[in-house]
Amino acid sequence: MLNDLQLNSILEDFDIAYWKINLLTKEVTWSEHFESLVGKHNSEETLIDYFLNNILHRDYRYDFILGFENLTLDSQNFNQEIKLKLNNDKYRWFECRNLKSKENSGKETAVLLFVNIHQSKRDQYTIEENFFYYRETAEMTSTGGWYIDTLAKAIYWDDVTKKILDCPRDFNLDYNERLRFYSLDHQETALSMFDKCEKYGIPFKVELKMVTLYGREFWVRATGKPVYNDEQSIIGIRGVFQDIDENKSNEHNLQNSLDIIAAQNSRLFNFAHVVSHNLRSHSSNLSLVVQLLNETKIEKDKLELIDNIADISENLDVSISTLNNMVTHHDLMKKERQMVIFQDSLDLVINSVSSLINRESAKIISDFKAMKEIEYIPEYLGSILLNLITNAIRYKQPGRKPIIFIQTYLINDQPYLEISDNGMGIDLNQYGDKMFGMYKTFHSNPDAKGIGLFITKNQVETMGGTISVTSTVNIGTTFKIKF
Amino acid sequence: MGQKIELACIIDDDKIYVNLVRKIIEIKKLSENLLIFKNGLEALDYFKVILSNLTEDKLPEIIFLDLNMPVMDGWEFLGEFVKIKNNFDKKISLYVVSSSIDPRDLERAKSFNLVTDYLIKPIELKKFEKIFDKNVA
Repeated sequence: MLNDLQLNSILEDFDIAYWKINLLTKEVTWSEHFESLVGKHNSEETLIDYFLNNILHRDYRYDFILGFENLTLDSQNFNQEIKLKLNNDKYRWFECRNLKSKENSGKETAVLLFVNIHQSKRDQYTIEENFFYYRETAEMTSTGGWYIDTLAKAIYWDDVTKKILDCPRDFNLDYNERLRFYSLDHQETALSMFDKCEKYGIPFKVELKMVTLYGREFWVRATGKPVYNDEQSIIGIRGVFQDIDENKSNEHNLQNSLDIIAAQNSRLFNFAHVVSHNLRSHSSNLSLVVQLLNETKIEKDKLELIDNIADISENLDVSISTLNNMVTHHDLMKKERQMVIFQDSLDLVINSVSSLINRESAKIISDFKAMKEIEYIPEYLGSILLNLITNAIRYKQPGRKPIIFIQTYLINDQPYLEISDNGMGIDLNQYGDKMFGMYKTFHSNPDAKGIGLFITKNQVETMGGTISVTSTVNIGTTFKIKF
Repeated sequence: MGQKIELACIIDDDKIYVNLVRKIIEIKKLSENLLIFKNGLEALDYFKVILSNLTEDKLPEIIFLDLNMPVMDGWEFLGEFVKIKNNFDKKISLYVVSSSIDPRDLERAKSFNLVTDYLIKPIELKKFEKIFDKNVA
């Protein structure tokens, strides 16, 4: 067994000081260590009074006196956390409790222990503080924490996660049902992320669509990290979900606005281009004609020049009507849509270019089984089909009879129309950007019946859709319209 | 002056304009012969053939080059022409002609050394005459 000196040494090491209280005389003695902590008492007062007046923090005085009396008079156990002023004039936290003896009652001394718990008290405050900030942050940012125990196959959600997913606080998620909270099209992604993390420890940060208990879909940012045990094996995944739905929808709206502005800008630019190039070239030709009319004396020449005026005037007309199209598309967007049957529209178009079709021995095959009709402006659909078909025939592969295949289909309720041909194809690398550009339209005397891909693109976009093209030189071209 | 240009060249896809200019050249007897190309590529191919045959005399003294043409526009033509220009000695006056009054086009045209001047359509008859006069050998 240890002797007194050794025992005292141990107590000092652990920063435990003590009092010995004589229960009969109520006399209090301080241990040496206690004295070294709080300083020698040099006054007339008793130790206990000195202690109460100078060492113990005022806030704890009442409770200490009460507890001390209970201890010395009734042998009731004493256990309080108090603040003591030490030698360096600083207050420190101590846990103060009596030593419980194993003997029965009838003892003569009580021992009051003073254990320095200052550091752990501070740590506790820090923890409480951190927890406060964590909770506030989680609530404010709608971020919930979760933990997957991969060994026990169990999932734990904190309150915020449950709130985000519209689940009650007592909700318990079944591991096998965990995917139901992800939207159908994102389930695979979610599964693969969690899998990779569980198997290989690859952390993830991903934006996904989740589904609440009530079936409401919303966007979430999910992050997950692997949790290792001491043997460096993965025993779980820990992470957070943040509800970013509002952000996402704002993002979409912003992108939409940007797209609209970009389209407007490009239209404006095209408009300016038409004005500065085309209109001017027509007007300049007119002025040349006038100058020549003044110069030439020969009747024949004068008559020829008048023919030129007719041509110029026609070109001017086309330019101006195109400008008109570009400007008035806004009004056309509001025009009434009707149910248009694709086959009917196609039949009309084939009729109008029947001579071209016959001349080139072109074959037009259609498949509207997947989608027979669409709510559209019939004139637009006709014009779009007309232009794409005439182009397909005009740009056939030399020596090959043009075959045009037209098909409609739905993907996820989104309607599409595709026109494919076996013509000469286009090198998209070289001409890709110019394909739907304006230039082609005006400087090659537009055919009265088909006025260029620029107009087609405008029409498709006016109706709220998009048009794209894929092509291989010498093999063919496919135009895809998303309505 | 009685002297005429031997060979003038117009590179422009606007048929009406080309016809009118041809008329002017005929009426005012500004050039003996006229070469017409409807885009930059056709003109470039022609010049390359001439150069490979070393028949420099078949090169025009004046070129009127339009900017907006399909297949190969004026800018692209200038880019290519600059490369082959040093293979011959003949002095060619190249005028960039355009209906565009965009100052950026003017700047860009002037940046090419081989461009003699930038003309804005419509070019008055008098101006045409002056240009041809200036370039008579």
